[in-house]
Amino acid sequence: MTDATTLFHAERAGHTYGTGATAVVAVREVSCAVTSGARIALSGPSGSGKSTLLHMMAGLEQATSGSVDWGALDGHPAGRPDQVGIIFQGVSLIPSLNAVENVALPLVIGGMSYDEAQNRARDAIGRLHLESLAAKLPDELSGGQAQRIAVARVLAAGPKLILADEPTGQLDRAAGIHVVDVLVEAADELGAALVVSTHDPAIAARFASRWTMHDGILASVSPHDDDFTDRTAS
Amino acid sequence: MIRIWLRGLITRRPGPLLATVAGVMIAVALLASLGSFLASAQASMTTRAASGIAVDWQVQVSNGSSAAAVRRTVLAAPGVTAAVTVGYAQTTGLTASTQGTTQSTGSGVILGIPANYAATFPGQIRFLTGKRGGVLIAQQTASNLHVAPGDTVTIGLAGTRPLKFIIAGVVDLPQANSLFQTVGAPASAQPTAPPDNVLLIPIADFAKASAALSAVHPELIHTQIHVAHSHALPPDPSVSFVTVTEAAHNLEAKLAGAGRVGDNLGASLDAARGDSSYATVLFLFLGLPGAVLAGILTVAVANSGADRRRREQALLRTRGASPRLVARLVTAEAVIVGVVGGVLGLALSAAVGSIAFGSASFGASVGSAVLWPLGSFLVGLSIAVIAVIVPATRDFRSMIVSEARAQIGIRKQPIWMSFYLDYLLLAVAVVVLFITTQSGYSLVLAPEGVASIQVNYWAFFGPGLLWIGAGLLIWRIARFLLGHTPRLLTGFVRPVTGNLAPIAAASMSRQRSMLSRATVMFALALAFAGSTAIFNSTYQQQAEVDARLTNGADVTVSEPPGSSVTPAAASVISGVAGVKSVEPLQHRYAYVGSDLQDLFGVRAGSIAAATSLQDAYFQEGTAAQLMARLAAQPDAILVSAETVKDFQLHPGELIKLRLQNASTQKLVTVNFHYVGVANEFPTAPKDSFFIANSDYVTRMTGDASVGSFLVNTGGQSTNAVAAGLRHKLGTSATVVPITAARSSVGSSLTSVDLAGLTRVELAFALVLAAAAGGLVFALGLAERKRTFAIASVLGANRRQLRGLVLAEAAAIAVGGTVAGAGLGLILSQMLVAVLTGVFDPPPTILTIPVPYLLATIVIALGAITGAALLSARRSRRPPIETLRDI
Ligand SMILES: Nc1ncnc2c1ncn2[C@@H]1O[C@H](COP(=O)(O)OP(=O)(O)OP(=O)(O)O)[C@@H](O)[C@H]1O
Ligand SMILES: [Mg+2]
Repeated sequence: MTDATTLFHAERAGHTYGTGATAVVAVREVSCAVTSGARIALSGPSGSGKSTLLHMMAGLEQATSGSVDWGALDGHPAGRPDQVGIIFQGVSLIPSLNAVENVALPLVIGGMSYDEAQNRARDAIGRLHLESLAAKLPDELSGGQAQRIAVARVLAAGPKLILADEPTGQLDRAAGIHVVDVLVEAADELGAALVVSTHDPAIAARFASRWTMHDGILASVSPHDDDFTDRTAS
Repeated sequence: MIRIWLRGLITRRPGPLLATVAGVMIAVALLASLGSFLASAQASMTTRAASGIAVDWQVQVSNGSSAAAVRRTVLAAPGVTAAVTVGYAQTTGLTASTQGTTQSTGSGVILGIPANYAATFPGQIRFLTGKRGGVLIAQQTASNLHVAPGDTVTIGLAGTRPLKFIIAGVVDLPQANSLFQTVGAPASAQPTAPPDNVLLIPIADFAKASAALSAVHPELIHTQIHVAHSHALPPDPSVSFVTVTEAAHNLEAKLAGAGRVGDNLGASLDAARGDSSYATVLFLFLGLPGAVLAGILTVAVANSGADRRRREQALLRTRGASPRLVARLVTAEAVIVGVVGGVLGLALSAAVGSIAFGSASFGASVGSAVLWPLGSFLVGLSIAVIAVIVPATRDFRSMIVSEARAQIGIRKQPIWMSFYLDYLLLAVAVVVLFITTQSGYSLVLAPEGVASIQVNYWAFFGPGLLWIGAGLLIWRIARFLLGHTPRLLTGFVRPVTGNLAPIAAASMSRQRSMLSRATVMFALALAFAGSTAIFNSTYQQQAEVDARLTNGADVTVSEPPGSSVTPAAASVISGVAGVKSVEPLQHRYAYVGSDLQDLFGVRAGSIAAATSLQDAYFQEGTAAQLMARLAAQPDAILVSAETVKDFQLHPGELIKLRLQNASTQKLVTVNFHYVGVANEFPTAPKDSFFIANSDYVTRMTGDASVGSFLVNTGGQSTNAVAAGLRHKLGTSATVVPITAARSSVGSSLTSVDLAGLTRVELAFALVLAAAAGGLVFALGLAERKRTFAIASVLGANRRQLRGLVLAEAAAIAVGGTVAGAGLGLILSQMLVAVLTGVFDPPPTILTIPVPYLLATIVIALGAITGAALLSARRSRRPPIETLRDI
């Protein structure tokens, strides 16, 4: 059911780490789709395969079985921050660059001049009201502040799909909610789809669509979600 | 538990572990190899000192004592292998009539020797022509008397009738100085030159001749017992010296006044032990920085794994390991690294020793055979402890205060910077250098005959402080350039990073702590290689100059005194194969006031072609300038500094010398004009002498005779050319190749064979430079990995990633090479200045071994580029895995 608005589509897609006796099946036969404008929370216990699935959506991890495609995107999204923006579970800022430089980095890598990239970065930081953090180094930022700068980096690059892997994992609830608000704000500005993985039900509750994973299986979704078709259920 | 942990270490992170082991290995091997150089150099010095002399002891029999009794006592002394009775008698002169003319000489000495003398003391007599037994005549005497084997010589004896002898052979007495020494007299009371006229006759004939003489002039006769001592001596020259001196004193005591011992062997060892101290000093100056550098590199590499170690320890702690267990694990790791590295290092040095010095032994004596390897091993162990345990305990502490945050290189500026330790150290280094290079200061003091030797260890502070101070200053400058000149840095990295340049520059400026430390290490490694290489080639060059100064040229042909050979004879010499050019050198004596000095007449325009004239030999101008002045003005003259002072001479002033006129044999006054000062000149004595134009001297004295010919062979096959010349010239002149001078210049370190040290040092320097290039990249590896992973998730392609890492490599390489080359030059200049005793006269300029230095730089830069590209390649592993690792 790929159409013009389907940013990511998986058909019985799975991912297995390693081979033979040590093989770990992280994602099993998942079929799903993310359409533009979607706001999805992905929850599930630790080790259930959330990160793996997000990495598959970002093209950073291949599907070892089944198929995936990014119909509405401009080709394969790996290394294309203007297509898919990702915020990692841990720290994803370069420690030797300050906030503005970190935000400008994907633009410069994409070929933009540093001056222009810096302006865009400041702009993105400003839109998320993070001006006071602009000149700080990652070491000098709190976990929540660092994640919000990572959001600014995604915003500056302007992707159509934003993936955030437990952006709130190491934060207290208030800080976590703040980061999620900033994420939603960024997605709204860009008109992008947003997928956020989280352990926290309070955070999941803020999303229209809620997907749940268990042992690599995308098990359940909130009832009014139309983006999800559970074809693994027999 | 320890075994599991160690197995984990070896399988999980072999890189840092192996690098640490390798660092310890290199430090241990360097120290142990240099120790083995030292031991082998000392042993060879002892051997050379002992084998270089013909007669070990000359025991002078006191008047009225029985020579036979003295000989018995001598033979009974421990270590004595042979004792031979030799008679000495003064003659009033020798005469001979050949081919219708009669020649006579001044006073001389008649030696009575037993038939087995030449076999017992092979170094004493060199047979030139004729028989090897019977009456032998010294070559110079034969030349004075125009006699050959078969001719008859009459010796005059004071107060009794002369005696006639038929010459059986012509010989050379290479060690005439010690043969005719005044036994028991201090150096200052020794005759300035051995007698010109010497006849050696069988001891039986001598007994007859001396019987008549002793009746009227017993004071003209004396007897010596010539002694061969065992040369199985302790390898260390100082120890040997003490042993031999004590034995000589012992013998003298046993003789109880019946004889005095002239200790030639002791005197030779005395000179050698000074050289031995210089070898020790050189070892310290040249070798220690390398070992320290290897240590620093090792510690730095071990430190680069600190992040991972911190995580492992945290894991252990969370799994319930007690602090004591963690400490035990770390200690076990350090000990194993130290022991394995140490053993490998000793094995490597044994291999190096057998290749470079032909022996794998570590020491000259049993003591040093254990001490050197043990010492090196302990140093290696301490490096391992510092490298492994110190960062571990530091991490442990910081973990406890829970500040184990993600660290990046931007620590605060090092404390030493805020109180200007670098400037301070450099200032002190300059002061120490000033003091230790003052005239009158000597690095090694080995007073003749005194058992103890003083080495002035203060001199080490100069170069030592320079090393440290300069290292810190390079660090400061590198930090400054990285941190405070963003525009410059951006421009510098743009060629490799393109539009990422500002970001790369910003990132590098934040990592200036790590980058500047890497630059310092790279610079120090290059400086070590550079200074060692430059010092070594300068030394070798200077040794050559020294030998040439003593010998005159590659080969020197000396005419006997009074010969009338003219410069025209040069054509005979240049006809011999291998001769490139020949320069005649006049040798006369001139009175200045009542003072008699040597005068050398040169062809100023061409003398430099046959020998090396160093600027250091002269004052008031360079060698070239002074020779030009001589050439321009026929009556120009160079005099010694002492003469200038004594006569208050000013440039251009008239100086009147009295020289002998050839035809009248009378002294004539010749006017010269003083144009400069000569302190040294090839073949000239160490004290005062004159250098003038030979044409002018010939014109004023009517005498064109030449003292010697300086033969230039282009430095090649001097021995073969010398043999050719000897064949052509026969006994009419003495031919000495530079190789002979090289082995007889024994008073300075030039006699220490540096070849082994040079090879070992240069090899290690190269290894260190390459290792530094490769290893500095291990610093900051963890950060670099993370940066790469993030950048590649954000879309950086391989070229961009390579650019980022090459930018860092370029900064370290360029900064390190520039700083290292500069420091290397300054250090070698300083080494030359401090090791003044080694160089006499000091070299005018440093000799730069360009091929070696270029090779070193190329290899080091290759290593750093290789390491950079490798680390860029490694970063191609899926970035997501790296990110999960963090
Ligand atoms: N690189 C890898 N190699 C092998 N196994 C892996 C790798 N990464 C993840 N796994 C395994 O795959 C499974 C799913 O991991 P994943 O990180 O996707 O879970 P998650 O739901 O994100 O967990 P968490 O909530 O703890 O982040 C786990 O069993 C994990 O151990
Ligand atoms: Mg996860």
